[in-house]
Amino acid sequence: MRIEKLSLRNYRQFRHEDIRFHKAPQTDLHILIGENGTGKTNILNAINWCLYADEPHLSSSSRQLPILNLQSYTEGRDGDNQTVAVEIWTRTQDNTRIAFKRQATYTIYDDQEPIRRTKAFEVVTTDDKGNTKILSEEDAASYVARFVPKKIREFFFFDGERLNQYFRGENPNVRKAVFDISQLDLLESQVERKLKTIVGGLEKQAGQLNPQIEQTREERARQRANRDEIRDRIRQAHTEASLAKEQIQELENKLSGIPDVEALEDERKRLKAQEATKQDLRDQALHEKQLLLFKRGMVVMLSSALEHTIRLIEDKEESGEIPPRLDPDILRRALDDGLCVLCGQPIEGHAVTYVQHLLAQIGLSSDVTHRLAAAKAPLHQLIQDAKQLEQDARRATDSIRAFEQDLEDIRRRLAQIDRQVSNYDKEKVKNWYRMRNRYEEIRTEAQQQIGALRQKEKELTTKIDDLSKQLDKELGKETRAQGIKNQRDFCNKALDVVRTTKNAIMQETRKRIEQRTQDLFFDLTWKRETFESVDIGSDYQIALTHTLGMDCLGSISAAERELLALSFTLALHSVSGFNSPILIDTPVARISGEHRSNFGQALAQVSNSKQAILLFTPDEYSEHITRVLHAKANTRLRLHLSKDETVSNIKEL
Amino acid sequence: MIETPDRLSVDKNDLDLYADIEQEVFLGKQNKDRFLFAMAFGFWHRADEQIARREGFVRAEYLTPQDEALIDALAVAEEESASILSNRRRVFDIAERYAHGGIQLLYNQVQSEQLGSFYKAFERDIFDVLRTQYHDGQPSK
Repeated sequence: MRIEKLSLRNYRQFRHEDIRFHKAPQTDLHILIGENGTGKTNILNAINWCLYADEPHLSSSSRQLPILNLQSYTEGRDGDNQTVAVEIWTRTQDNTRIAFKRQATYTIYDDQEPIRRTKAFEVVTTDDKGNTKILSEEDAASYVARFVPKKIREFFFFDGERLNQYFRGENPNVRKAVFDISQLDLLESQVERKLKTIVGGLEKQAGQLNPQIEQTREERARQRANRDEIRDRIRQAHTEASLAKEQIQELENKLSGIPDVEALEDERKRLKAQEATKQDLRDQALHEKQLLLFKRGMVVMLSSALEHTIRLIEDKEESGEIPPRLDPDILRRALDDGLCVLCGQPIEGHAVTYVQHLLAQIGLSSDVTHRLAAAKAPLHQLIQDAKQLEQDARRATDSIRAFEQDLEDIRRRLAQIDRQVSNYDKEKVKNWYRMRNRYEEIRTEAQQQIGALRQKEKELTTKIDDLSKQLDKELGKETRAQGIKNQRDFCNKALDVVRTTKNAIMQETRKRIEQRTQDLFFDLTWKRETFESVDIGSDYQIALTHTLGMDCLGSISAAERELLALSFTLALHSVSGFNSPILIDTPVARISGEHRSNFGQALAQVSNSKQAILLFTPDEYSEHITRVLHAKANTRLRLHLSKDETVSNIKEL
Repeated sequence: MIETPDRLSVDKNDLDLYADIEQEVFLGKQNKDRFLFAMAFGFWHRADEQIARREGFVRAEYLTPQDEALIDALAVAEEESASILSNRRRVFDIAERYAHGGIQLLYNQVQSEQLGSFYKAFERDIFDVLRTQYHDGQPSK
């Protein structure tokens, strides 16, 4: 089945637009290009609204606006009715035309939002003989389910971001996809649930006969409810971990090549403090050296005088003048007074001559000899210290040089840090690092929580199993409940069969999807020699194996990852049996450069066997894409938003 | 008893010179050390000059035995006789003359050099004196 025409009336940006998708013999490729805000994504929403009465891809700005086109809304007067309508005209392989038509009528008011008055959905079929049928309600809904069932629509009409994200999460929902494609919900909701209800009813009946049975049954129900809650929390934690992982990846992409600015700033602060300390120590060492030179330099400058004086003192010591044996002042007094100071007798004649002779021998006054004697030790000490000057100064110089070397090293590292951080908005980068660390904490906490909850789930399962065994035993003992027990056992056996059948179908579907994904991926990929296999394990974990034997899903490029997701999606189409179109909004936004060409080639190849409608932004529709798709496309349209931003027109490119 | 003058004096014009080279040469030392350094520098360069206008600079009571020994040694070397030591006024005169000559030389040297380079040159010159004055730790005759 393919879409031939999409009609939009008063739907969001579109006042009155008909988009026709003509098919060429070899290809069924259709391209629409529009800036953000022109209504590109609302084409995807229009299809969803028509088929399923919802708009899952509304932007936050569109959410603020009514579904009714703004121009219609403003032109209408208070009390007027305006109708929103979307029609999807399709044709099947047996040439039956099926039109899906949804409309809603709104009354416009001056002082409030428009109010919906009526809504209607119908399907009009026209076979190749021209016989027409109009269907509504359940019959119309069944045709939607034949076109693209709601449960699996996300594999047919989706945003390209979905391809980018599909295999990045920790627990991509491969299992859910396989389940949905297998359409086992019927088996689960109608049969399995029904059987469980019957079993529950029978056990309750038995419980009325015996309070012990009732007690056990109620206890088991409680534990099952607990386990369901645990399972919900596990799912929640998986989601949290998955979201955290995505955020971490995004932040790591932003931070790739950017240094940890906060750590560098901390290092810088530490180094600045060290620099200040070293500078102080160096200045102190220099000052001490200068003081050394000052103090002892003084002595060195006077060294010749000091040596001369020391020699004079030593000579005088040798001659006996120092220390003086006689006090010359006493001798002089004796001569002056003419009296001996000691005995008081007059000095005359040869005694005077003798005293004069003694005086001449002494030569120096007692004060002078005392001064000389007192100076000797200090002079010797000063000279000794002065001789040590060169050695001590050298030690001081080495110490200063060591500090200067440390300062040089510190300053070099500071300059390096400054160079590293100068090109970045430090606050922004610091914030990114902080956020990344926070998300890593969240992911770790979520993983730990999952581990703890799984353990609890296991314990509860054991408890529930024990309670089930206990219940069986009690039912067996209660003779009045024998009939009920037999019915219950029969239902349980039927449940086992249903579950086994469900699992078998799931496994078979899984294998088929795995094989088809691999076939499509190898067919579409531009690196044919690199990959060995695509596997979807029984735990629904997808693995892509390199020819060298290792799993390389985590290390492939964005383009390759999207290609794998696209192959998986197309495999689901094939296995589901629904040969419906694929519509992708912004298919290559996350792919750059030459990879866009490669991915474009893959999309072109898909359109050889299936209708492909692609919605691009002008940035996406780069030379890499136009080179491979433009000539091949059957439809090339451009969306233009009016100046007053109330209506978009669609024109041929 | 030898009479000792109560202070060592400088030329009044030298006060500004001492102040100007404070940071570069005297490193925050007191007047006593500044005077002795200028005196030693003047003796080293054999530059002594009579003071014109006396200004008290260092109180004699602040001189330590080592300081006194330095001043006495200078006077003894100048007069080549120990008996000069009995005339403290004369001893102080000799010290003051050399300090007066020395401070002017110091000032001129500092003005003619790059800021912060005085001790670099001084260290070099002093080591030359040491090496000349002492071979193997003994004074050269």
